[in-house]
Amino acid sequence: MSYSVLNTKKIIDVIKYRWLWLAISFIFILPGIIAMGWSMKVYPTHTPLLVGIDFTGGTIIQYAVNKDISNSEISQIRQNLSNNDIENPVIQILKPAADSSDDIKNIISVKTKFASDGQNETIDKVSEVISKDYPDSQLVQVTSVGPVLGKQLFINSIIAISLALLAIVIYLTLRFHFEFAIVACLALFHDVLFTIGVFSILGLVYGVTVDSLFITAILTVLGYSVNNTIVVFDRVRENLKFYSKKATYDEIVNISVNQTLARSINTSLTTLLTLGALYFFGGVTTKDFVLVMIIGVLAGTYSSIFFANTLIALWHEITEKKMKAN
Amino acid sequence: MKNKIIMFWAIVILTIISVVIIKVKPIPLGLDLVGGSRIVLEAQKTANISEITNDMMDGLKVAVENRVNALGVSETMVQRMGEKRLLVEIPNVADPKYAREIIGETAELDFKKPILDSNGMVIDWESSGLSGEDLKKAEVAADSAGGWYISLKFNDSGAEKFEKLTREYLHHQIAIYFNGKLVSDPVVQSVIPGGMAQITGSFTKDEAKKVVDFLNAGALPVPAQIVEENTVGPTLGADSLHKSKFAAMIGIAAVMLFMIFYYRVPGVIANIALIIYSLIVFAIFKIVPVTLTLAGIAGFILSIGMAVDANILIFERTKEELKSGRTLFTAINSGFDRAFTSIFDSNMSTIIICVILYCLSSNIVKGFALTLAIGVLVSMFTAITVTKNLMHLMFGTGQLKHPALFGLKDSDINQAYEASETKREKAKFGVLD
Repeated sequence: MSYSVLNTKKIIDVIKYRWLWLAISFIFILPGIIAMGWSMKVYPTHTPLLVGIDFTGGTIIQYAVNKDISNSEISQIRQNLSNNDIENPVIQILKPAADSSDDIKNIISVKTKFASDGQNETIDKVSEVISKDYPDSQLVQVTSVGPVLGKQLFINSIIAISLALLAIVIYLTLRFHFEFAIVACLALFHDVLFTIGVFSILGLVYGVTVDSLFITAILTVLGYSVNNTIVVFDRVRENLKFYSKKATYDEIVNISVNQTLARSINTSLTTLLTLGALYFFGGVTTKDFVLVMIIGVLAGTYSSIFFANTLIALWHEITEKKMKAN
Repeated sequence: MKNKIIMFWAIVILTIISVVIIKVKPIPLGLDLVGGSRIVLEAQKTANISEITNDMMDGLKVAVENRVNALGVSETMVQRMGEKRLLVEIPNVADPKYAREIIGETAELDFKKPILDSNGMVIDWESSGLSGEDLKKAEVAADSAGGWYISLKFNDSGAEKFEKLTREYLHHQIAIYFNGKLVSDPVVQSVIPGGMAQITGSFTKDEAKKVVDFLNAGALPVPAQIVEENTVGPTLGADSLHKSKFAAMIGIAAVMLFMIFYYRVPGVIANIALIIYSLIVFAIFKIVPVTLTLAGIAGFILSIGMAVDANILIFERTKEELKSGRTLFTAINSGFDRAFTSIFDSNMSTIIICVILYCLSSNIVKGFALTLAIGVLVSMFTAITVTKNLMHLMFGTGQLKHPALFGLKDSDINQAYEASETKREKAKFGVLD
């Protein structure tokens, strides 16, 4: 048997089971959307995600301690802070990554209102309360954002994401075809929606908040998603050029997916290896940032194999039917 | 072949230059890695100041710069940010609280004269017109009893005003206000010419020093408020740096192992390219220079994943060509050529996003966008030039004798490909049918 692209071994059939692939996407994205809707209803900020002080304004003061902290101790800290006129303090315990050469066992994070005047006063008060119970605690980080700045950041983020989307649509339309641009954007929505959904759920369940780094991470996911989708589309484009007379559109899409399958999986794997290393061994401050990207890469891998190609074949089928009807 | 060898030496020289640059130039580390304070100040309108002008902001910048310099730490930065904000960065600050205090306070020194009732009793104070602006210099001094006081030296007009004030209110109280608070209200014992004065109060040495720092730096021309602050203690900074380095090494090692395991000899070549890639990227970081932050390190680590992607694309393509029975030389060449369009288009889209991020975002995100963009650009160079060159030098021409070198099985390789079956134009594109 002579070798031919048309005989490529098909491990995955994106055409035959297309409704299954689309259903899987739907099933995974739906809970996130529900969580976002629920969040918008219950959070005082009416946002789909639990937003941190970067967006709402506020002050976060963090202390490193070298012992374990129980839940009752957390409520004790909260009580002590409230007794000292700190309004609605939010206490969180952060775990630094596993590392043997380390005295920082836990980080106590105290969130309060933004203290514009008497910034020092608030910090002093909190420090006093904490050091009473944890004499060897160490002030490691103070983050404070005014409410006006928070709003600006939100608006800037929305502008940045919209512009990025627009730029990608233009680029892909120029290099590929309009329908590829639209499907790539749908795939990108798929990935971003899934990732945001996961964080919405994490916010509801574990109180995970998102900050300005989250926006960066989402934008990276966006870039990665397009990157992945383009590689498969590039193959579809190439195969269409040479085999469009020998095979149907569906077949060509199917072949292209399978030809690039090894690459899709291997690239995701190497990216996940580096991200995984950062997640498990990196600093505590980048943990959430890395988690966003891990989830995004997983979603991006799925969408570039199953979602984008299923859609592009469907799109073609529908336009063809319309052509025939006319 | 001659070109290949020249190229090979060019790569070697480039690598050596990169190593030298990395050894010679230090890389500036961001505040989140060394510890320090990043503070955004916003000028505030008051009853007297209805509009914040450019001049006020420049004055504010100078005053804040003076104060920050008084802290005695190196590499501080004060920068205008938009119309009415200042960005202040103080690395390695030992006492962030002190930094916060010294930046935000207006530091108004005011000498006030008494308003007396008919009995000669003080009922209120009013400004005498002598203020911090009339100062030439302030110093901390110790008295014989071991107490601390502040010694003031006025400029010429200040000296005149002070002499007039002491003559007018001889044997009466005058008051010295600092930031609207009464610091001292001495009784004038004699007329004081020459423009020397003292502020005594129950100061500790540190308190006196702080007031002196303020006075010497000058009052803020317009009150300013901290609207954003990010202070990272040196412990957390060092901890993050140490851990990120460790994580980066583990990540790179894992990727390298995977590449060798899956792609065999080409995998080894990809790893060499990856090392050269890392060296070049770091050298560029140092030349630009890019201030390395946590987000920047994350961007770099992510770009490693993408750098490897280019190699994976090429190797997968080369493998396909080999499977179809091509000779090594053509398989490697067409593997590169055909993978190039995907590498180019996918990397371009990433760069577009980096540019948008760089233009629109805050400093933290800027660092990330810059490192990622540099990484992606360099990866296109190393994947194509370095990997291709090494592949050719390593494998030469002819048929692939040991498919295992590429992680292929003997049975994967098809019969020799015969060009006669394919039209010449298609063959040029590397299309087989």
